[in-house]
This record gives sequence, structure tokens and C-alpha cells, in this order.
Amino acid sequence: MLEIGNLEVVYNKVVLVLRGVSLRVEDGQAVALLGSNGAGKTTLLRAVTGLLSIHDGEITKGAVEWNGERLEGLAPTEIVRRGVAQVMERRRIFPDLTVEENLLAGAYQRRDGEVRADVEAQLERFPVLAGRRSSAAGYLSGGEQQMLAIARALMARPKLLLLDEPSLGLAPKLVEEVAGVIGSVNAEGVAVLLVEQNAAMALDVADHGYVLETGRVVHDGTAEELREDRDVKDFYLGLGAEGRKSFREVKHYHRRKRWLS
Amino acid sequence: MEKLLQLTFSGLALGGTYALVALGFVVIYRSSQVFNFAQGEFLIVGAFLMTTLTSSGVPWPAALLVAMLVTGLLGAVIERVVLRPLVGRPTFVLAILTIFIAFLMRTAAVLIWGADTRAMPSPWPRDGTLSVLGARVTYNSIGAMVATAVALLAFFLLFRRSKIGIGMRATATDQEAALGVGIPVGRVFGTAWFIAGATAALGGVFLGMFPRVVEPNLGFVAFRAFPAVLLGGLDSPAGAVTGGLILGVLELLAQGYVNPALGSFGQNFHEVFAYMFMIVVLVVRPYGLFGRRDIERV
Repeated sequence: MLEIGNLEVVYNKVVLVLRGVSLRVEDGQAVALLGSNGAGKTTLLRAVTGLLSIHDGEITKGAVEWNGERLEGLAPTEIVRRGVAQVMERRRIFPDLTVEENLLAGAYQRRDGEVRADVEAQLERFPVLAGRRSSAAGYLSGGEQQMLAIARALMARPKLLLLDEPSLGLAPKLVEEVAGVIGSVNAEGVAVLLVEQNAAMALDVADHGYVLETGRVVHDGTAEELREDRDVKDFYLGLGAEGRKSFREVKHYHRRKRWLS
Repeated sequence: MEKLLQLTFSGLALGGTYALVALGFVVIYRSSQVFNFAQGEFLIVGAFLMTTLTSSGVPWPAALLVAMLVTGLLGAVIERVVLRPLVGRPTFVLAILTIFIAFLMRTAAVLIWGADTRAMPSPWPRDGTLSVLGARVTYNSIGAMVATAVALLAFFLLFRRSKIGIGMRATATDQEAALGVGIPVGRVFGTAWFIAGATAALGGVFLGMFPRVVEPNLGFVAFRAFPAVLLGGLDSPAGAVTGGLILGVLELLAQGYVNPALGSFGQNFHEVFAYMFMIVVLVVRPYGLFGRRDIERV
């Protein structure tokens, strides 16, 4: 179980990006983290994966606990070894390495002898990759690269998978496909923390959701509740059941009052 | 005809030592995108260590192994102490820093071993030769060529087949992503410096053999290997070796044929010849003969 308590993160010792965020991902659960640009979603993931320090970020308050163990201060490689893998924003596959080598890189921390078998298993899960296994990953299409990024993260045999905007820059059809993959990974017992701007997709996949705004959790609930929530609908889901709605009619003051009260 | 063959063989041997130095540049550049200007100083340290070891009675093959190991460890220590804290800074900062490391190492080498020249011992008769196709090839030349071939094969296996090789290439393209998937980037850098040091020592040993001697200025050969790396492409081991061999052969051919033809102007012309050739090649292929082109989807 991942438990983040009252987390505060400061960049360059000046910029306060997270102001006391608490959230929890139970074993095997899928949790969505919604929010617009600059809300602090990526920062939250960096705080979990140990990548804050290379961005001059620092946890100034609060705790990140994974199965009862504090993760702050651990090296990124140690965190991966403990079963927390990530799919970074914009996929970040290694373009010069072949598809197969990308997968092997994902298993770098593993010492067991089943890495080869897992490569085959991932190629079976993603048939698009199987045909390109020895070609440079940089030549894959955007959707294929996203699949590769997910497969590479799964090569670490994680118990928790963090995904940062996996739908970014993909056609609607591919977004659906990615959502399906995330759903099936979750069904296999891997807990998922999904950071998304595409709230409709995220709430489809997740059991529970949090809404992050300017470094604070302003709302949380089951995916069901969030889908029906009026503010979430207005700001993140867009078209609702009642059809197109003008943003002129959305009452900002109403929203502020409710969320910050 | 016999002269041509003779020059070609000597050129290949000289080129082989250039290639060994160039491989050291490549392994560091390939994992950290840093150009290591101290490569020539590793070569000096390796060569001097070798002379010290053999003169104190260590058998030649064992001395070679120990010299490579110690020089490699020196590389790893320098990386850990001086360069590791700067990981993530712009790579030119680290490259500049290696220039200062070079000065320090050269001074230290002179303090320890003195500025005198020493003879590099060889396991075979110093001026023994073998007749190949009518040309006389020294054992030293053959040794240098074999060492280069073995080193190239080892590099190929390392980069293509081994886990640390994948780690190095991944780290070179995207440090943050490499960290993110669990590659210990620091250890990858340390390994790269170890390998670079060990290869430099190997190059130093063969370079210091007859007809040359071991002295602090041996390190300037590293500058002669620059054209080799740039010619082959900074991130390609095969390119480094090809570049080294081409330059070695060209240098000796220029010395044998072009210098006399140019009269008094031609003295030492072969030394610039390599750079001229490099410039011409780079104009046509800016990323070198085997260099990596950035993969970009359009």
C-alpha cells in the first residue's frame, strides 16, 4: 500500500508546488489523479519515485510510505527494486536501443533468471512490439512507443505502477487501447496510480480518484462519485449527458466556495 | 611494393594503438556524453606502471593485467571523487574538468616516475621480425594488432550483449529515464571510467614498445587519437578502431611518400596530414564514419 501523508514539495528552495497532499493507493487498487497543467501531478509522482532531486526539488514536510517503509531519500533504483515502477510522461523510451533492449533495461534491477521469459511474455501481450523486437525503438509510432514504455515498466515486476499522462498525444482509438492495457494490468493484481488530464479515460479505468489543484487535493471519491460530480463534470469531463454546455454558464465562484471551504 | 607493404603493416600497428586510445574516449562518451581529455594521462600511468612492475620481476602477462587493473581503478576513483558530484550539470563543465585532471595526473606521474625515458619491456625479442608477403613485420606490430582486435571484440560484446552495455547506452540517451527504470547511473559511469582506464593502459604498453620509449610526452598521442575518434564517430567502437587504423596507415604512408616529395617543406608533414584528412571527412559526414545519427520520426 502506498500512503502519502501531508506531503509538501519545494523546488529550488523557493517554489512551493505541493501544499500538504495526502492520498492512498491500496494493494491492487487503481487510483486516478486528475488535475490541469501545473497542479503538481508530475511532482507528486517524482516524490514517490525519487526523481525529485535531479529537478532540484525537495520534500520539506510529510511522508511517502510504501508498505510501511519510508521512501524519501532512497535512490530511484532502490525504489524500483521495492516494486514501484513508472511510465514517465512522454514515454521516454530509449530511441537508440532496440525494442528488446528497452525491455531488458526495464529489468535492470532484477537478479532472477526469468528475465528472458518475461521479455517473451511482454512481447506476447503487445503483439505490435513482437514484430519490431530488433528494430530501434525510436522508429516506433507514438502508440507503439507508449505500449513499449508500459511493457518496459512491467519488466520490473512491479506491485505498483505509476503512469504519467499515458494518453498524451495519442489518437482517441489508441487512448482506448492504452486504457484497456492499464485495466488488464490492474486486473492482474498490480496497483495503479494514473495521472491524467483525460479525466473520462482515467475514471473509466480507476476505482478511486483524487482531484489536484494548485498543489492541494480539492476533491476525492470513488470513480463513480467523481463521474457524477457536477464540478468534475464541468471542469474535467466536458460534455455531459445533458449535451454541450457553454463555459459561460459554469459558475467559478460556486466551485471555489465548495472546494476551498 | 615492398615498401608499401612495410609501411602499411607498421601503419596498422600504429593505428591499432591509436584505436585503443580512441576506444577509451568512446566508452566514456557513450555512457555520459563527456569528452575525456585526460585519456592520454591514463596512458602514461599505465605505461609507467608496466615498466615498474616488470623491472621488479613481475612476469610480463601478469604485469600487463595488473597495470590495466590499477589504471582502471584509478579511472573509477577519479570518476567517483571528482565527476560524480557533478552528474546532471552541462557536460562541457565535466569535459573542462577532465583537462585539469589531465594536468594533475601528468604532474603526479612526473613526480613519481621522473621525466626520464624508460624502455618498455616486451615478451618477445625487441626487434624480432616476421616475414609476411615479403615485408618484414616486427613482433611488436603484430602484438599491437592482436591487442586491438581483442579489445574491439570485447567492446562489441560489452555494448551489444551485456547488461552493463545496455545500461551504458540507455544512460547516454536519457539519464533521467535510465534512473527511472532502475539503472544505477552512477555505477554505470564508474564502470565506463574503469574500462577507459584499462584500455588506455593497454594502448600505453604497446605504444611504449620499441622503437619508442616510455616518457611523459607519450600522453600527447591521445591528441593524435582525436582525429581517429572524430573520424569514426564519437559513440561507435567500430568507428574508433576503423578511424585509428585509417589514420595510422595514412600517417606512415604520408611519411614514406608525401614527405620526401615535398622537400624541406615536407618535414613532419605526416603529423598534420591526419588532421587534414579528418577535416575533409567531417565536412562530408559531420557525425563521422560510423557516428550515431539522431533518430527522429517525421
